[in-house]
Amino acid sequence: MESRSVSRQTANDTASGETRARPAGPGGVLWRHLIEPYLYLSPALVLIGLVMAVPLAIGISYSFQSITLLRPLDSGWVGLENYRDLWSDRKFWRAFANTFQWTFGSLAFQFGLGLGLALLLNTAFAGKRLIQALVFLPWAVPAFLSALTWAWLFNPVIGPIPHWLAALGLLDEAENILADPALAMWGPIVANIWFGIPFFAITLLAALQSIPGELYEAAEIDGASPWQSFTKITLPFLAPMIAITVMLRTIWIANFADLIFVMTGGGPADSTQILATYIFTTAFRKLDFGYASAIAVALLALLLVYAAVLMMIRQRLVRT
Amino acid sequence: MARMELNGIAKAYGTVEVMRDIDLVIEDGEFVVLVGPSGCGKSTLLRMIAGLEPITAGDFTIDGERMNEVPPRERDIAMVFQSYALYPHMDVARNMGFSMEIARAPAAERQGRVAAAARTLGLDTLLARLPRALSGGQRQRVAMGRAIVRDPRAFLFDEPLSNLDAALRVEMRLEIARLHRKLGATMVYVTHDQVEAMTLADRIVVLEAGRIRQIGAPLDLYERPANRFVAQFIGSPTMNILPVTAEAGAVRLADGSRIEMPQARPGASHLGIRPEHLEVTDPGEGQIVGTADVVEHLGSDTNIAVSVAGIGALMVRRQGTATLRPGDRIGLGIAPGKAHLFDAEGRALRPAPAD
Repeated sequence: MESRSVSRQTANDTASGETRARPAGPGGVLWRHLIEPYLYLSPALVLIGLVMAVPLAIGISYSFQSITLLRPLDSGWVGLENYRDLWSDRKFWRAFANTFQWTFGSLAFQFGLGLGLALLLNTAFAGKRLIQALVFLPWAVPAFLSALTWAWLFNPVIGPIPHWLAALGLLDEAENILADPALAMWGPIVANIWFGIPFFAITLLAALQSIPGELYEAAEIDGASPWQSFTKITLPFLAPMIAITVMLRTIWIANFADLIFVMTGGGPADSTQILATYIFTTAFRKLDFGYASAIAVALLALLLVYAAVLMMIRQRLVRT
Repeated sequence: MARMELNGIAKAYGTVEVMRDIDLVIEDGEFVVLVGPSGCGKSTLLRMIAGLEPITAGDFTIDGERMNEVPPRERDIAMVFQSYALYPHMDVARNMGFSMEIARAPAAERQGRVAAAARTLGLDTLLARLPRALSGGQRQRVAMGRAIVRDPRAFLFDEPLSNLDAALRVEMRLEIARLHRKLGATMVYVTHDQVEAMTLADRIVVLEAGRIRQIGAPLDLYERPANRFVAQFIGSPTMNILPVTAEAGAVRLADGSRIEMPQARPGASHLGIRPEHLEVTDPGEGQIVGTADVVEHLGSDTNIAVSVAGIGALMVRRQGTATLRPGDRIGLGIAPGKAHLFDAEGRALRPAPAD
């Protein structure tokens, strides 16, 4: 009733307006406000649906099924069974904890060292352009190759790192930390730090270069020490960029299985198994796609919670 | 309160020397304006006083204390930047009180000083705004407020009004003059606008290509420019310069007319006469005859561009309105005692007793 009166009124308006090229039919309002916009959007919507929503839905549906390639006859819907198994799976919880160590151990150093490198690159020195180009180098190396190289560097037979660590007194003897369950996680983390510093260095450098130099001069005249300039001008300016890069990077690292898979394969004794590698081994070693999908959904939920928290923090920072 | 002394200050970037032999004493409480065309080094000089630019050679002292190597934050000076350099992520109150925040002054004292400065500058209602929500004039006031709250012994201004529109510029100029009278602090002000220089300064320093060309009170520079550069830089419209040949007690213009001048002596090569010191007369009277090309009616004044056979274009300024029309033939008389004489190097020649 109400919508009809609205539509009549609109039709009257357009009639008195006299400027409309296209006569509005009785279905004019419905067409213009409900169908037409979506018609124009439909190519993008269909594309997004095909490449994102459909695979996601299929993946989530797998987690409610039993799909084990080794037992093809047992396939079918099993409800929440995969999730019940997950809840009581000690390997899952171990991987869950390892994911945190892996993610935040890598992230903290990548960010700290990346910020330091960005601050260094933001000063003027000879050969700056060359150094800036070299900083990108870790990204030019395939992850698979860098993982192999780092694995060799940690190997006491051919690599120097264990001998250096032993000489510094950090290790009792020159042993392979990748073989020590208590230390193995730090091997891939070190490789990941090396791999991830350029990302922070380059993005933060871009943000640093957008800060007008006069603000530092004004702060200096206002009496600020270099540290005060850093905390009161540099950091507030970097904050939005820090929030978005830390969020992106965290999600990428949490999903980043290559280094661990090549360097340790999740071992020894699952000590370096993270959720991403656990999904991979479950799906492609044990060929249990249903269970792997359940783990993947758990990882997705974890990352969604994390991203929501970070977006809230970011909004706060940007508002003030 | 600060008395600044610059002794033989020089500035070089690598091997390129941009400034040399700058000697200048700025008395306590004085308002000194550094003026010159762009690229003359006036901003560089100000930045050296602020400590933002290292001094290559020479001594710079404030109150007798050598400052060459002292970082800006220990010089106890405030600076207003051309771009204002307000902190975009801080509201007006925090921008103004930033120096006290840095010095960890008690919050109550800081708020008191910020509120007082805001009242003086009419910013009371804007204290919670971010700089991006302010107009150009308001930002300018905040930048000044920041300097006032800083309570320094000297204020530096780097072309603070050049980003404002004409009306606002006049208003802020008065504001700065008032501020100087109220605070009585030493102020050094850089501008390329000679009107700002003339109206604000106790003394003007005219710079050209990294050298001081003349230092003096505004009217001194106007009435007794030391050289052709200063003569042409100060005053608007700019001074007319005519080539002359010297005779005993007089000079002869290129069109043959003879002008009596007591300071005329061998070596005089140019005569300078300000547009306002050329009198419009009937043709046949006065020393020069020409044709009015363009007549600009400004209301309070009339600018007349006159072309004179054998001499070229002359600018004439007349008070009030004139009934002249382009194409009219007019005579021009040079007001006695108002003409300036320069030698081939551009140095002013003065009447013998005055020198």
